[in-house]
Amino acid sequence: MWPLEEVPVSTIPRSLLILMLGGIFIIAPWAPAAAGTSGPPVRIGGTLALTGPLGPTSLVHKIAGEISIEQINKRDGLLGRPVEWVLLDDQSKADVTRTLYERLITVDKVDLLVGPYATNAILSALAVAQRYQKMLVHHSFGIPKLATYPMHIPVSALGNEPDKSLPKKVFEAMESTGQAPRTIAIVTSKFSSVHFISVGAREVAAARGLKVVLYLEYEFGARDFAPIATRIKEANPDFLWVGAIGLDANLLLDAFQTIGYKPRGQYHLFPAPGPLINAPGSAFAFAYTSFEAHPPMTNNPSAEELSRLFHERAKQAGLPYPFVETQAASSFASWQLIEAAVNATRSLDDKVLAAWLKANKVDTVYGKLSFDGPNNYGPEYTKVKQIQNGRWVVVWPKEFAAPGTKIVYPAP
Amino acid sequence: MRLAPGLGFLGGGLLLALLPALHPPAFYETVLYLVFFWVALATSWNLISGYAGYFSFGHAAFFGAGVYTTATLTATYAVPFLWTLPVAGLVAALLGAGAGAVVFRVRGVRGELFALLTLAITFVLSTIVLNTPIDGGPGVFLAAVPVPRWFGSQNATLYLLSLIVALGSVAAAYGIQRSRWGAGLFAIRDDEDVAEVLGVPTYRYKLCAFAASCFIAGVVGGIYAIFVTYVTVPDVFSIGLAVDAIMMAALGGTRYWFGPAIGAALVTALTQALTGGQSAILNRALIGAILIAVIVFLPDGVAGGAARWLKRLARPAGAVVVTTARVIALPTRPGAAAGTPLLQCADVRKAFRGLQALAGVTLEARAGEILGLIGPNGSGKSTLINVVSGYYQSDGGRVTFDGHSITGVDGHRIASLGLSRTYQIPRSFRRLTALDNVALAAMFGAPARSREAARREARRWLAFTGLADRAAALPEELNLHERKFLDLARALASEPKLVLMDEVLSGLTPTQMGEALQLVRKIREQGTTVVFVEHIMPAVIDLADRVVVLSYGRVLAEGKPRDVMRDREVIRAYLGRAYA
Repeated sequence: MWPLEEVPVSTIPRSLLILMLGGIFIIAPWAPAAAGTSGPPVRIGGTLALTGPLGPTSLVHKIAGEISIEQINKRDGLLGRPVEWVLLDDQSKADVTRTLYERLITVDKVDLLVGPYATNAILSALAVAQRYQKMLVHHSFGIPKLATYPMHIPVSALGNEPDKSLPKKVFEAMESTGQAPRTIAIVTSKFSSVHFISVGAREVAAARGLKVVLYLEYEFGARDFAPIATRIKEANPDFLWVGAIGLDANLLLDAFQTIGYKPRGQYHLFPAPGPLINAPGSAFAFAYTSFEAHPPMTNNPSAEELSRLFHERAKQAGLPYPFVETQAASSFASWQLIEAAVNATRSLDDKVLAAWLKANKVDTVYGKLSFDGPNNYGPEYTKVKQIQNGRWVVVWPKEFAAPGTKIVYPAP
Repeated sequence: MRLAPGLGFLGGGLLLALLPALHPPAFYETVLYLVFFWVALATSWNLISGYAGYFSFGHAAFFGAGVYTTATLTATYAVPFLWTLPVAGLVAALLGAGAGAVVFRVRGVRGELFALLTLAITFVLSTIVLNTPIDGGPGVFLAAVPVPRWFGSQNATLYLLSLIVALGSVAAAYGIQRSRWGAGLFAIRDDEDVAEVLGVPTYRYKLCAFAASCFIAGVVGGIYAIFVTYVTVPDVFSIGLAVDAIMMAALGGTRYWFGPAIGAALVTALTQALTGGQSAILNRALIGAILIAVIVFLPDGVAGGAARWLKRLARPAGAVVVTTARVIALPTRPGAAAGTPLLQCADVRKAFRGLQALAGVTLEARAGEILGLIGPNGSGKSTLINVVSGYYQSDGGRVTFDGHSITGVDGHRIASLGLSRTYQIPRSFRRLTALDNVALAAMFGAPARSREAARREARRWLAFTGLADRAAALPEELNLHERKFLDLARALASEPKLVLMDEVLSGLTPTQMGEALQLVRKIREQGTTVVFVEHIMPAVIDLADRVVVLSYGRVLAEGKPRDVMRDREVIRAYLGRAYA
C-alpha cells in the first residue's frame, strides 16, 4: 500500500521534487557528533517499521535509539570510535525486513545488528542473522519458544514462558486485593503474540480456580466490537482479560459505552497507551508493562535521564503518550546491552559478544538482565500497570509500584 | 513466441540464472527475488483483471492458498519443499476455478461486484485458515524446513525459483496475449456480450484465465512461505498485497504482456532504494508522488505511454487520413440451396418481469433472401435478434438454424454455425483498432482462423465497407457512419450464412444510406442471407424480398413488401399510411 494521500503532487514545487529525486539513493545514518572519538565509525544496522501499520510504535523505538546513540557517543563511542546507526525502514513487511537485513550484512557490511520491531519482523531478521552467524539483539519479540537461534539476545524481559508468567502476575495482583475475582471472561485478538499469551491466560486462570465464563477470539484488525461487548455484558464476569493490541481496547470501551456496561475489572494486554488513557470508561483499567517513567524505576540515573530526554523528544515528535514505557525502555536496554558487551570484551565479534552476554548479567534501565535460560531468556520483569488519576502507574509487583499507589479493584 | 522476443527472453533469463554462479552479495539475490516475486504476482493478476477486465481484489486469497499449502505440507507432513510448489499452484488454481465456475455463470457479477466477491473469498479463506489447525492463530514457523542449496546457498535457490516463475508468468502472458485466447480475453474486457455473440467462448476463456492466474499466485505464495520463514494470516491474506499488485500492473500497463513486469520492477526498485530510516515518511511520500505522476501523465501505464510515443514517431504530425474507394468484388460462397429455410423460429416467447416481449413468434428466413423485420417500437424485433443470436435465452418455443436447434445454445456456439449480427447502436471493442475489431470476428467466426489470417481477412472486409484507411483507428476516432460500417464489417468477417442487421441505416445521411443499401445487396450476392430490422420504409421496400411485421411480440403480417405495406392491419398498427 502506498501513502498516496500524503503528498499531493501538485503541491510540490518542481525544484523540491528534483532535490528529492536527487536524494533517492542517499541513506543518511544516524551519527550525531561524538566527542573524544576517532577512527572509522562502528556501524550498527537495523530496521524499524517506520511506515505501514506498525509505524506509530516504531517511532518510539526510533526516538529511544537516537537518544541511546547520542549518549553512547558522549561516552566516547565504542572502542573509542563513534557509533553510527544505519537505520532502514522495513515498511512493516516481513519480506522487506529480510531483504534489508541481507543488505545490512552483505552490502552495507555493518559491524553489529539490532533488531526490528515486532515478532514477525524479528523472525525474518533472525533467519538472516542465523545464516550469517550474526548476533541479533532485539527488543519486542512475543513468542519466545520460536526463537531458537543461539545468538539472539531478547531484551523484552518477558521471560521464557510469557503465556504462563504474565497471566500469573495479573492474577496475583488481583488476589492481593483480598477480593480475588471468581469468574473471568477472556477475549483476544488473533495477532500471533497476543493470542499466544491469551491462550495461556485461559489455562492459568482455570488452574488458579477462576471460572472462565466466556472465551472469544476475534481477528486482528477487527473494528466492530459491539457483539463482543454484548457477550461480555451477558457473561457478567468479575474480571475481564482482553488480548488487545493497538486500538482494540479503545474500540471495545466504545462498545461498552454504547450498551452502558462497566466491567468490574479489565486488563488489556498490549494497548496503545496514549489513546487508552483518554478513552471514556478506561479509568482503573490494567495493562501489561515492564517499565513506567516513575520511581522506583527512574531511581537510577540512566532511567531518569532517558525519561527526561524521551519526554522532550516525544513531545516534539507529537507522540500521543510522551512518556517512557515498555517500548522505549526495551529499545534503550538493547543499546545498553551492546555497549556493555563491547566495552567488556573490547571486541566487535558477534560470537564473542553473544557469549559474553549469555555469561554475564548486565545493568539496564529494566534492572539486571541475563540470557542464560532456555532460548536465551532470563528473568522476566513483567509488571501490571493501572490508569489512576489520568496516568499509567505500576501497581504490581509491590516493589515496583509507584509511591503511594495501590491496586484499585473492583473499579469504583 | 516469435523468434526475436523469444531469443531475447531466453538470453536474458539465462544471464539472470547465472547470477548466483558469480556469488554476489546475498542482498542482490534477495532484492531480485522480490522483483521477480512482484513480477510474477502482478503478471498473474493481469491475466484475469488486465486482459479480461475482471478486476480482482482477492489475489491475496489465492496467494495465501499457496502459502499455506506449502507451509502445511512442509511443516506438518515433511513433504520436500520443491514438491509442494506445484501442489500450491494446483490448490490455488482449483480454488479459483471452483469460484469462477459459479461466478462466471452469472451475468450480473461483473465489474465491482466481481471485485467485491474476490475480496469476500479472501475473508472467507483467511477465516478458515485462522480457525483450523492450518494455522489456528499463532502463525506457522518454517525456519526448520530444509531448502535445497543450488549454487551452494538457499538464497540462490529461492532467487532461481522466483526467476523461473517470473519468466514463466511473463512468457505465459506473452503467449496468451498473442493467441486466440488472448484476443478473446481482450474482447471480453471491452464488451463481453458482443464477444460471446461473435464466437468467443467467454465462459471457458475466463475460467481458464482465472485458473492460470491463481496457479501462478499459488506457486509464488509457496516460495514466499519459505522466504519469510514465518507466515501469519494477517500478513498473508492482506488486501495490501492485491492493491500492490494492481498498482504495479496499472503502472506498467494492463494491456501489455510486459506492462506488469515493468511496473513491478519500478515499484520494487523504488521501494528498495527508498528505505533510509531518517526520511521514511518522505520516502513513502516521494514514491506516492512518483506513482501519482505516472498515473496522471501515463494513464495506460509506462508501456502504453511508450507505445503512444512510438506511434507518434511512426506517423508524422499532420498526416491526413484519406478514405480510398471500396473494393466490392467478393467471391460467392456456397450455402444452403436458395429458398430453403435457413432460420426457423417456432412459437418463440420471451418475457421480462411480466412484460411479454415475444408472445409466440413463428417465422422463417430463407437461404439467399433479404428479409425485412419491421414493427413499432417495443414490438419485439431487437428481442428476437437477441434470442436468435444467443444473447437472451427464450422462455419457450424453438429456434432452428441451418438444420441445428439453437434453442438455449450459447452465443459463441451459434456464431460458429454461421450466424452473426450488428447492433442498433454500434458496439465496437473500444480499445481495439478497427482492424482488430474485425479480425476478432474472423478468428472466432464459422471458419476459425489464426491471428494473421484473420487480419488479412479483416482488411478485405474493411475494404468492402470503405474503411481500409481507418484500419489503425480506434472506434472513438470514427464517426457514427464509420462505426456502423465497422459493426457490419465485423459481422461479415466471420463469413456468416445469415447476418442479422439491427437498424443499420438509422442516423445515416441519404448518401451514406445509398452506400449502405448497395453494401447489403452485395452481401446477399456473395451468398449471405440477410435479416434486417428497419424503420425506414422506402429502404425496406427497395431492399427486402419479403417482410415480416411484428406487433406486441407476435407476427402481424408477412409477405412481399408492397403487399404488406398495403395491409390494413399493418397500416393501423404501425405505418399510419400505405407506403406502396
